[in-house]
Amino acid sequence: MSASNNTANVAKAANAGSLSPNSSYLLLAIETSCDETSVAVVRDGRNVLSNIISSQIDTHRQFGGVVPEIASRKHVESITIIVEEAIREADISLENIDAVAVTQGPGLIGALLVGVVAAKSLSLALDVPLIGTHHIAGHIYANHLIGDIVYPALALVVSGGHTELVLLEQEGKFRIIGRTRDDAVGEAYDKVARALQFPYPGGPYVDKLAQEATEEVVLPRSWLEPDSYDFSFSGLKSAVLAEINRSRMKGESPDFSALARGFQNSVIDVVTVKAMKAAKEFGVKQMLLCGGVAANKGLRERLASLCGDVGLPLLIPTNKLCTDNAAMIAAAADLKWRRGEFSTLDLKAEPILSLEDWSVGS
Amino acid sequence: MNQNINKGEDSSVTVLSFDTSTASLAAAIVRDGVLLDSIVSFTERNHSVRILSEIKELLSRNGLQGKDIDVVAAGQGPGSYTGVRIAVTAAKTLAWAWNKPLLGVSSLEALAFGAWKSLQSADENIDFDTETWIIPLMDARRGQVYTSRYSAGHSDKWDTIDKDGIRLIADWSERIEKEATMDSQVSSIWFVGEIAPHKVAIEQAEQSGIRLRTLTCDMDPGAVGQLAELRFRRGERDDVHSFVPNYTQLAEAEAKLLAASRGE
Ligand SMILES: [Zn+2]
Repeated sequence: MSASNNTANVAKAANAGSLSPNSSYLLLAIETSCDETSVAVVRDGRNVLSNIISSQIDTHRQFGGVVPEIASRKHVESITIIVEEAIREADISLENIDAVAVTQGPGLIGALLVGVVAAKSLSLALDVPLIGTHHIAGHIYANHLIGDIVYPALALVVSGGHTELVLLEQEGKFRIIGRTRDDAVGEAYDKVARALQFPYPGGPYVDKLAQEATEEVVLPRSWLEPDSYDFSFSGLKSAVLAEINRSRMKGESPDFSALARGFQNSVIDVVTVKAMKAAKEFGVKQMLLCGGVAANKGLRERLASLCGDVGLPLLIPTNKLCTDNAAMIAAAADLKWRRGEFSTLDLKAEPILSLEDWSVGS
Repeated sequence: MNQNINKGEDSSVTVLSFDTSTASLAAAIVRDGVLLDSIVSFTERNHSVRILSEIKELLSRNGLQGKDIDVVAAGQGPGSYTGVRIAVTAAKTLAWAWNKPLLGVSSLEALAFGAWKSLQSADENIDFDTETWIIPLMDARRGQVYTSRYSAGHSDKWDTIDKDGIRLIADWSERIEKEATMDSQVSSIWFVGEIAPHKVAIEQAEQSGIRLRTLTCDMDPGAVGQLAELRFRRGERDDVHSFVPNYTQLAEAEAKLLAASRGE
């Protein structure tokens, strides 16, 4: 295997002959792309035996956001502890693991490195295949842990780092039809939350405040060009800040709950209208909502109601499977396992990694 | 759990060791103090890409498997933050998966120890009746170095005088020069490792004109394993789960937060 070639289409080298891709197998997956150290053991790509998530959020909160160097340090402190816990909770022994999957990217490079080096070490020590996995493919395939995906499907990915509309014409083939041009949805939520004086991460507070609000400060919708499925949220965030300033200049105290509702309604209008339009244009048979912001109650309810109106089936993972976790990485890695598409020990952590290029068979 | 925990002083010990704290990736198999085989690569920024392939190659070309390894050892830093995390993560994960003893070694001590061995073999007129100070340097930018101090001499004398830390090279070399003047036992002083960025500061500290000497060198691939084996034979072990790099300083954000909380 050459050093420059990260992916090798080889028959399962380590256990050749002992397992066919269709028989029952155990996958251990590691996710360390941001501030969660997570390890899961999943049987046959769908049956989650354990999914341990160690959040660093209490550490990062005092800094008002994720500090990459500190995230990397925390991953080193936790990694073997979490692997051991995942094995114990799955009630298996390490020797039963048939393959190791890991988030290769995108994410914070220093954080990704810890997971990638640990996964490669396990792959070598256990002599089992390694599967470098795309983080967003993980978010999308979290849906496969709770239901059957029907193709073509459209995924609306909303998280702290991503806002994308992804078309899946068939299993494991990703086509991005829309993406944010500036802030991700989750990022906009956190910035607005800070302006509304909520602690980091403030997205859930804004959601809750918007739900409870009786008034609404109507804010602009950023539709971009008529035929575009792209998003932009930085103008909306600025509009919130401008409203707060305007109130203060007039000596009034800004109505935070009305602003939260205005912001949330603008975001939800834009993402759901675009998602529904794309679903119609591409004739999809299913809508998939995923990513950390998929836990947003307002968004879930609106999308469910719009899908219900046109009879489009909708899948949304449980809240635990929406946030960063390793079970979703196993669910995506299963696509590669079943096709025998493995990585070499020279797998490289990639802070920027193309989802489309990660598609199966490419 | 660790089947080799009671390995006697006389039995053979095979150590798999590696270090990624500097520009070189150094991996080695050391058996009973002797370097059996090693791989050194200078593809900085690629340590994380190559480390496991290099280890695999090292094991397979020596006909070894995980079960044949008695000790997994890694340089624990200091050095590049990202760099030291690579060796530390690989070491703790391999040791955990193989259920083998884990031993960490100071990367600075390994750098110094390797330099001392090469000075001895290069016949640098070392007076073994007196003491030689070995001072390893790794550049830490802005006139700073990661450094420590060891005293070497006859009958394998090797003692730590100063522990690993981050210091200003100008102050540090001046202090070394001053202390050597007061200690008649010290015959020679060697600054070793990453010398080039700090040569001027060392020369400025020099008073006698002959005493402070320098040796530019890279990490010796066998040094981590040899130092780890000494620790192993003394019965020392590191805990896999709590094994972390020695960064020698807080992350920048932590330092700022601490300063703010003190009202600085
Ligand atoms: Zn994510």
